[in-house]
Parts: sequence; structure tokens; C-alpha cells
Amino acid sequence: MSFKSNLATMAGKSSYWFLHNFMGGGSSLPGKITTKIDPDVLHEMGKNYDVIIVSGTNGKTLTTALIVQVLQEKYDKVLTNKTGSNMVQGIVSTFLESSRPTAGKKGIAVLEVDEANVKPIVEQLRPKMFVLTNIFRDQLDRYGEIYTTYQKIIDGIKLAPDALVVANGDEAIFNSKDLPNPQVYYGIKHQAATDDRKAAPNTDGVLCPVCQHIIHFHYITYANLGDYFCPHCGFKRPDLKFSVNEISAKTPTNSRFMIDGHAYQIEIGGTYNIYNALAAYAVGREVGINPTQIKHAFETNQRIFGRQEEINVAGKEVTIILVKNPVGTNQVIDLLATESEPFSFIGLLNANYADGIDTSWIWDGEFERLPNMNIKQFETGGKRYRDITLRLQVAGVPAEQHRIQPDLEKVVADIPNMPTKKVYILATYTAMMQVRAILTKKGYIKGVKK
Amino acid sequence: MSFSIRVAHLYGDLMNTYGDIGNILVLQFYAKQIGVTVTSKVVSLEEDFQADAYDFAVFGGGQDFEQSIVAKDLQTKKKELIKFIEQNKPLVAVCGGYQMLGKYYVDAEGRKLPGISAMNHYTEQQHEHRFIGDILIKNAATGQEYHGFENHQGVTYLGENEHPLGKVLKGYGNNGTDGTEGAVYKNTTGTYFHGPIMARNGNFAVHMMFQALETKYPDTDFTEMKNQVQISGY
Repeated sequence: MSFKSNLATMAGKSSYWFLHNFMGGGSSLPGKITTKIDPDVLHEMGKNYDVIIVSGTNGKTLTTALIVQVLQEKYDKVLTNKTGSNMVQGIVSTFLESSRPTAGKKGIAVLEVDEANVKPIVEQLRPKMFVLTNIFRDQLDRYGEIYTTYQKIIDGIKLAPDALVVANGDEAIFNSKDLPNPQVYYGIKHQAATDDRKAAPNTDGVLCPVCQHIIHFHYITYANLGDYFCPHCGFKRPDLKFSVNEISAKTPTNSRFMIDGHAYQIEIGGTYNIYNALAAYAVGREVGINPTQIKHAFETNQRIFGRQEEINVAGKEVTIILVKNPVGTNQVIDLLATESEPFSFIGLLNANYADGIDTSWIWDGEFERLPNMNIKQFETGGKRYRDITLRLQVAGVPAEQHRIQPDLEKVVADIPNMPTKKVYILATYTAMMQVRAILTKKGYIKGVKK
Repeated sequence: MSFSIRVAHLYGDLMNTYGDIGNILVLQFYAKQIGVTVTSKVVSLEEDFQADAYDFAVFGGGQDFEQSIVAKDLQTKKKELIKFIEQNKPLVAVCGGYQMLGKYYVDAEGRKLPGISAMNHYTEQQHEHRFIGDILIKNAATGQEYHGFENHQGVTYLGENEHPLGKVLKGYGNNGTDGTEGAVYKNTTGTYFHGPIMARNGNFAVHMMFQALETKYPDTDFTEMKNQVQISGY
């Protein structure tokens, strides 16, 4: 390690120590201090690790957590950026916070990396593996198009041509470019390839990357994911090395499925989470962890599914779910459709930078499905309550069941009076953080860090 | 008498990036209030578009790649689309859709692609810069104000026989310099307002809906229905 890097690491480590002990926080600031002194510091610190990078639009955080869980079946210590600090500085902080692996022995690190930060990270670290979840339209005011986003990722991947790419085979874009890297695919293969259908009109990414005709599907799992093929040129889903062969049961809080003939269960609902588990399974198998160990890993630590924790608010079972783009929202609506009990629905929309400042996407969400569910009361709120209110009105939510409540404090105060035991809150990022802060202040959420 | 509006959702599977489908959903919402039926059909690549089969058209914005594919296919629908527009049928075109109704547009990679010249505007490209943010405009003829969100790299200049949808009160509009936003020719409106312009602006949605009805049913007096509609927006 160069003198400059050493100095940078020391400065970063002491700022982490200071922030952690005196300020009760510390996520990317130490990273900022370190990278200011020596941008190559990551290169130095990363030398001691085998690095796995997880990227894509949706599912990065949970996939990363599940991979860590799986790897712990084989490795004593797995380094990861748990806080969701997935840009360069956050990752520098992750390394600074860790203790060095034992001399002469390499550690293993699983890093969730923001799509646009893959290249700068790969320039510093030489990953052994890339895991790609999916590419959907996500807040275009920030990154641009799905093709540009994918290009950003592969610009990074190409810098590490020896690294294995473990990609979602049901996502056509991951089959659209030749890479120098070895590649394996995972996907869902629970239906026969007999049907021939197109995606719903409002689905992104349905052009064949080879001949630019509309791709068809034998079946669709969600959005534009599934067993795709192009009737015009023959482009089709690649062979899947790892696949889910059966989805046995789905509820909002539990999924049971078979991978390569082995039964698995995760305590979280949603097809997208089955993909996340499948990705973790694929990584586990690639590093020599067996199916039984993976089963154990999935069932060990339930806290990793924390994003959908249930909060008790005066006897109501409240679940807060983050929504940020149409595909994610439609998956959540899918999840609600598996709820067997009656429930209340709260939709909260903000449009701060972290939420995405353009609320147009709400029109691409399938809110029309809500009036057909067993929902006893609707409530809409947040800074952009007018947008989400009209969206639900147009979707056919009856006025007499629909309460409009811009103020989030009052939204929380309304919860105990809702007519059902179960309450689902769909919220954009800052709305979710505000609601959590109110719930914490009122003592409904305990022991949560600032 | 029962009234209906048949909507062509032009390239709805490719040009749908910013909630453009919201325009059709709110059209149905307002039409339902006055007992008018709205049906909608996606007309996409290599599919036939017949002007006589539709009363209203929505043409959304898309990603650059999709738009370049659509620009080629659109030439095969040029004749019927121009016929549709010349028949005074309303068409709402957003971002990419707006650009392609004009003479030409230059895409992010600097390629110049022909439009169908149904309208006389043309679109150039800003270098590494986008107009992003909330926008507010005022329509000179009606005095109505419309608001929305814009996000575009293309800069559009109006040509003959078209006038702006509004004067920019806040934001950038067509090109950030001449204070115009969008273009209107007959009952066709092009705009950079993202996606659900009709959802955000109920006054505009209702205006377009009655244009469709009055064009299709010229002998009917819609005054009563106009008074019946409850306008929403946000």
C-alpha cells in the first residue's frame, strides 16, 4: 500500500470511528474523506478480497443479502455494504469499516453496486463475479434508458473479462450483447413452452435486440421477464443453468418453490423475490455450496427480509412497502392480490429527488386491479397526494371508500381507526422514511437507528 | 343515441415511457361520466392503421432506440395518419411522438431521422444537456393554463400553419429560447409535457374529448354534456 493510500485509509478510518462513536451514524462520509485523499484507495483495500458485484434495477439489496447469507454457509466472514451505500464512496466506507482479513488469506466481499457505478468500481476492484438482476425503467430523470443503463454495466464488466457473469436469463437485454466473459443464466421454467403471446401493451423492453421486431413469450413471469422468443429471427431465451421448476405457493409473506428439483421456502412474498433467491442459489452453486446448505441459508436469518416487516400499530398489522417504478409497483400489486384477508390500502406519493421528481410513472402501474381486491378502505397522501388520488379515482376506487389525507402525521393517526386488521402502505422513498420516523416517534417502531 | 370514441394507441407497446397510457385512462374516466364508450387498440410495427377506424389517437414518447425503429415504420402509416389529422380528428402526441409528426428530428447520437411532415416543426439536439423539470404554460386562445413535467434533449422549432399549445410561464418548452411549448395544428396537439398531460390537466382532457365527439357527431349539440363533466386534475 502506498504511503498516500495508507494515509487515506487512516484518515477515513478515524473519521468513521469519530462518526460512529460520537455522531451515531457514518455511512458515506468516511468514504468521501478517503477518496479525496487517494482515489486509488479502493484498489489497495480490495486486493485482499474476492469480490462479487450485484447490479441491476430492482432486487439488488435483497439479492445481495441472500448471497451473503448463502456464502456464510462456507465462509466465516463475508464483507458487504449492508446499508445500501452502493456508490463508490459508500463502498470505500464498507472496506474501511471492516477489519482486514487474516494475513495470507483472502476475504470475500459481496457488493451491491449502483448501475452507473459498476465501471468506476471495477476500475479499482477486480471482481470474480457479476450478478445481474434485471433492467427496468427506473426514474428516467436520473439515468436514462434501459439500453444506456445496461451499457453502463457492461462497460464495467468488460474491464474484468475473466469474471463470471451470472445473469437473469428471463431478461432479454442480458442476452443482447457479446461479452468476453464466461456467462451462466438463471431463470424460471415452471411452464411448458407451448403458448405464444405478447407482453401487455404498456411493457418496456419488448424489441428483439437482433432484428428489432416485437418479441413474443411462451410465458411471462412479470413485466417483460419470461420465456421469450422472436418469431421473426429465432432469437430466444438462452439455456438456463439454474432454474425454478415449480412455484408451489405464494402469499404476501411466504413463497415456496422448487429449484433444480429441491424445495425451498422464503419468508417473503412476490415473484421478484423468488428471482432474488434464485440468483443467490446460482451464486452459491457456482462457489461450491450445496442445495441443502442453501436451503439452510434461506431459512436461517429472517431479518434480511426487513423491507416488508410488519409493524403493530394499535393492534393493526401494518406493512410498509417501498414503490419507486411501475414494474416494482405492479409486483407489489401482484403481491396484494395474494392476500386472503380483507385489508386497507394506503398510497403515499412524494416527488423529492430520492423518490424521482417525475410522478408520470404512476399511470403505468396497474391500480385498476385494486377495486377488485378485498380492500375495505383506501387512503391517499403525501406531498403529491393529488396525483395519486386522481390515479386511484381513475382506477375506479369508489369515493365513499376513499379518504384523502395529505398530511402523513394524520395518515398515521388514521391507522387505528381503519376497518381491517391488515393495513398495507405503499410509499415512495421519502414518504416511507417520513412514515417510519412518525411511527418511531410514537413508539410503534422500537430500537431503530437514526 | 349512444356515443363512442375509438382510440388508436399508436405504438403503445414501444412508445409508452412516461405514463402516456394515462391519457387514455382519463379519457375513459371523463367519457364514462357522460355515458360515452371509449375503446382502445394498440397499432404497432407492421400493423395497418386506417384513419376511418378511429376517432382519437394517442402517440407517446419512447426511448431513443424504440423511437428510431418506430420512425421507420411510421412512414408506412404516413398517408393514413395525415388523412386522420386533416379530418380534424384529435391526436395527442407526446415527446417522441410529437417530434415524429414534424419534418425531422435529430436523435441523441446525432442521426437525422425523417418525420412524416404532418406538421411543420423540426427538432434539433442539444449537446449533452436536457431540459428537466416542472413546466407551466398558458394557452393564448382559451386562457387555460396547463402544467406538467418535461424531460427532453430535443429542441423543437415551430413551422408554418401551427401555433404553440401555450406560452411558457415556467420551464423551458419547445427549445428554451422562444417561449413556446408544444404545437397545435387543427385538432392535433404535440407537446413535451410528459406522459399523462391529460391526467394532470383535466381541462385539456375534456377539451380534447369534445373535439373528438364534435368531429364524429357534427349534428349533435354537446352543451349539456359539457356542463355535466366534473373536471379533475392535479
